[in-house]
Amino acid sequence: MAEKSTPIRILASTEQVPILQRAIDRRRFLSFAAAMGGTAFLAACSSSGGSTSSAPVATGGALENSLSIYTWGDYDSPEVVESFTSDFGPKVTFDSYGSNEELISKLVAAKGTSGYDIIVPTGAFIPQMIENGIIQPLNKDLLPNLEHMDPAFLGRSWDPENEYSICKAWGTTGFVYDKTVITRELKDWNDFLDAAQNEASGRTSVLDDPAEVTGLYYWANGIDWNTTDEAEIAACEDFIVNTLAPHISAFDSYPGGQAIPQATQVLMQAWNGDARIGIMESPDPDRWQWVLGAPATELWMDNWAIPVGAPHPEAAHAFIDWTMVPENQLLQVDYIGYHTGAAGIEEAASEAGLEMLDLVFFTEEQIATMRDGEVNDAQQANVDIWNKAKAAAGA
Amino acid sequence: MRSLRLPSFALAIPAWAWLVTFFVVPVGAVLYFSFGYKPGIFGTHATDVLSFDRYAEALSPTFFEVFMNTLWVGIAGTLLCLAIGLPVAYWMAVKAPANRRGLLIALVMVPYWTNFLVRTIGWQIILAPEGWMSQLLQTVGITEGPLEILYTRTAVLIGVVYNYLPLMILPLYVAFDRVGPALREASKDLGANRVSTFLRVTFPLARPGIIVGLLLVYIPLMGDYITATVLGGAQGNMVGQLVASQFQAAQNWALGSAMAVLLILVIMVSAAAIGLQLWLVSLPFRARNRVVLEASA
Amino acid sequence: MTTTAPETTTDAASRAPEASAPRTTDAPLARRARRSPVDIGLTVWSVLVFLFLFAPIIVILVYSFNNGRLLIAWNEFGFEPYRALWEKPAVRDAVAVSLRTGAIAAVLATLLGTLAGIALARKPGKWALWFIGLLLLVSVTPEIVDAVALLPWLVFLGQDAGLSIFNDGTVRLVVGHSLFSTAVVTYIVRARLVGLDAQLEEASADLYARPLTTFRRVTLPLAMPAVLAGLLLSFTLSLDNTVVAAFVQVSGSTPWPVYVLSALRGGLRPEIAAVSTVMLLLTLAALALVAVVLKRAGDSATQIARTMSGG
Repeated sequence: MAEKSTPIRILASTEQVPILQRAIDRRRFLSFAAAMGGTAFLAACSSSGGSTSSAPVATGGALENSLSIYTWGDYDSPEVVESFTSDFGPKVTFDSYGSNEELISKLVAAKGTSGYDIIVPTGAFIPQMIENGIIQPLNKDLLPNLEHMDPAFLGRSWDPENEYSICKAWGTTGFVYDKTVITRELKDWNDFLDAAQNEASGRTSVLDDPAEVTGLYYWANGIDWNTTDEAEIAACEDFIVNTLAPHISAFDSYPGGQAIPQATQVLMQAWNGDARIGIMESPDPDRWQWVLGAPATELWMDNWAIPVGAPHPEAAHAFIDWTMVPENQLLQVDYIGYHTGAAGIEEAASEAGLEMLDLVFFTEEQIATMRDGEVNDAQQANVDIWNKAKAAAGA
Repeated sequence: MRSLRLPSFALAIPAWAWLVTFFVVPVGAVLYFSFGYKPGIFGTHATDVLSFDRYAEALSPTFFEVFMNTLWVGIAGTLLCLAIGLPVAYWMAVKAPANRRGLLIALVMVPYWTNFLVRTIGWQIILAPEGWMSQLLQTVGITEGPLEILYTRTAVLIGVVYNYLPLMILPLYVAFDRVGPALREASKDLGANRVSTFLRVTFPLARPGIIVGLLLVYIPLMGDYITATVLGGAQGNMVGQLVASQFQAAQNWALGSAMAVLLILVIMVSAAAIGLQLWLVSLPFRARNRVVLEASA
Repeated sequence: MTTTAPETTTDAASRAPEASAPRTTDAPLARRARRSPVDIGLTVWSVLVFLFLFAPIIVILVYSFNNGRLLIAWNEFGFEPYRALWEKPAVRDAVAVSLRTGAIAAVLATLLGTLAGIALARKPGKWALWFIGLLLLVSVTPEIVDAVALLPWLVFLGQDAGLSIFNDGTVRLVVGHSLFSTAVVTYIVRARLVGLDAQLEEASADLYARPLTTFRRVTLPLAMPAVLAGLLLSFTLSLDNTVVAAFVQVSGSTPWPVYVLSALRGGLRPEIAAVSTVMLLLTLAALALVAVVLKRAGDSATQIARTMSGG
């Protein structure tokens, strides 16, 4: 990310400046005095904004009594959580959010006093969180189980050194279609777009996310889906709003939870784990065919991160480390249905008898076609296209 | 003994203070943002340079297009709620046994203590094209072919009416209950038949409550965007979604605030316009002989 | 309110073409007279509407016994969801938070709204227009605007201004839930009282009752149906409040709807239906309790109201 030799320019509101300064100071301190007890340091930099809790830093000390995790709903295997509490002690409480923007707004507004120890942001939003100084660097000495992680899923573009985040689960985008209605074989995004305008017209759903909707055009046409080029964006808008949108009947990010089991749509853009659950729970799984987006698609990743001001950082590190133990990785994969980024998990999963593994694990060639997402200048344009598409679809 | 002479608004002060502190001040701040802008990719709002630019941006063709759809859903939904809820409220207030009325009010509310999303799933199960209801209707012969309601305008209305019905029934109940049997009896004593009593006594006296019911459904419904899309999909695209998208996906609070202000204005204007038309329509039904009836009560 | 006896008697009388037959005052024989088609129609319609209201709830109740992975896909009958719900403290906590804040917010909103509604109905002055404008504004503002506005403000109050009570999750949620509900209760109470002649209160004052007594023994009972309806409605609205709740919640106080919405990502499990059923039973039990308590304590008040309203 930012090179340490050039000065970092951060745009932040005045209330956030002290927090940012603390974060930067803390990073420098940790880099050459990791094992020091930090009490004197903490006393020196206690907050001036009225909050009385000075945030402790994880140094490998004793674990606290409790742990507060702010994550997506129902995103961890209860067995893993229970075993953590019984083996290590801290009692875990979960709170949930429904979108990354909500998470960011909350943390920025709370200014370090949110009370959460672990959060689970999606990768594309991590640069923003680093820049706003709301997540703190991880102490990798306390995370020895990192060695069990597959290096392909560490060091992603938003955090190349994994200073702030570690993969929790990743997924990709493709589509599912009803073989009894669409009798030809669909193989890539162009087939998807074609079928949406023909056999599946009026019974097609796409994901309810601006980048996913605009991604349809970019992936099908070999353009980088994070592009900020105006001509490309205009072409995308024209296609999505004028050509595709009138055939869309719903913007649904979770077809696996309803549309697939109930067969209310014929062609659905979907995330792999969601599609997998939908097909597995459908009364007639054979009628559905999953297709990984081709020639390009995305790789989205939810990550463990520790917010600034976390009251129990020792327990937080211990928990993250605990989830990376291979047995627990398997439990997590089984529970949430997504790849957790662990090494060798595919063999373990097939041995354990998990079904439909082709929707969870992908080959290297397939992974090579998956691109990371970014939040950049095109975001506003993407949102506009998405809104216009919705208007056109509902007309 | 001297009684405390309080000014007329004294009782309203607690509510006023509460709303001003927790609504006006913070929302005022957000509305102030509408004159600002979005400072770069990672910022949400900045107000060092003020202008009306966001309003110009907000007044896009998309906004109007979506607003028209919203208006359709809003009016149709509200009228349906009225049509469906009015007989029920009347029955509850007038015809149902008196000792059961509390129970009935509670029964109206009970379904809404189940979470909104869960209720929607209940409907999705009922309306599933390959579900038991669809099969039942096909067997009985009411429909040919599977139920094709989901993701249509009909589904939008079902979803909206279902979720807003209690907001119509309860105020209407309170309104009809207020009229009281004495006045109705008096009207019948004076020779009016049932229809006439309803039109010239009950309905006009219940009017404030009916207006409350209409407002309580129409106004929040126009700002709502989730209800219409859960069963209706793209057909339920509402203008509140534009506002939310700016605050969430685009992280552009300035534009979001400008759109919110616009939305609030158009809702108020449309409510006033519709209210005006309804008032004109209801002029013939006004309680003209109010004074006489009250004297005999 | 009265029974239907006088109604049916006068109905029978008014069905005659010249509806001028004198009413018989006591007509116990006529009590079970033929109900008119309109009466039957109204009853049938109401029953249908209640069925409509309960249809999805019954479906969810049935599906709470679904031993499957997805709520929506019926697998087989079983008690798995109820057992699983026992193992998820996150779920139990969410429900507890929702019920607690719902009750507090409902009481608060009803209190504020009743007083305001009475003031608007009885003594509207120039301020009334502004106040109603404020209420309309509260009703019309999209929830997301409320949410985005409230969070920084509550943080400011709690942190920078040092009023640490606003750091408490329950307090924040109650604040967030009570805004719209206050407006709703005010509308309903005002509509109830407006036009209900102030004679009764004037009579009470003529009889030397102090304003407080008049308020307590005349105005409040008159408004009681509206107050109770408002209380019920506030509680209901609070249980479903999602957007504002999501933004203002703090660690340890995730309300139920926020949990459900965020669990969409992984596919809703049947436990959600089990929890909904349990919550329904809990709220019904609480309601029954409240009804019993009210009945014992409030008998006199409602009796007076009934008599004075001509019942």
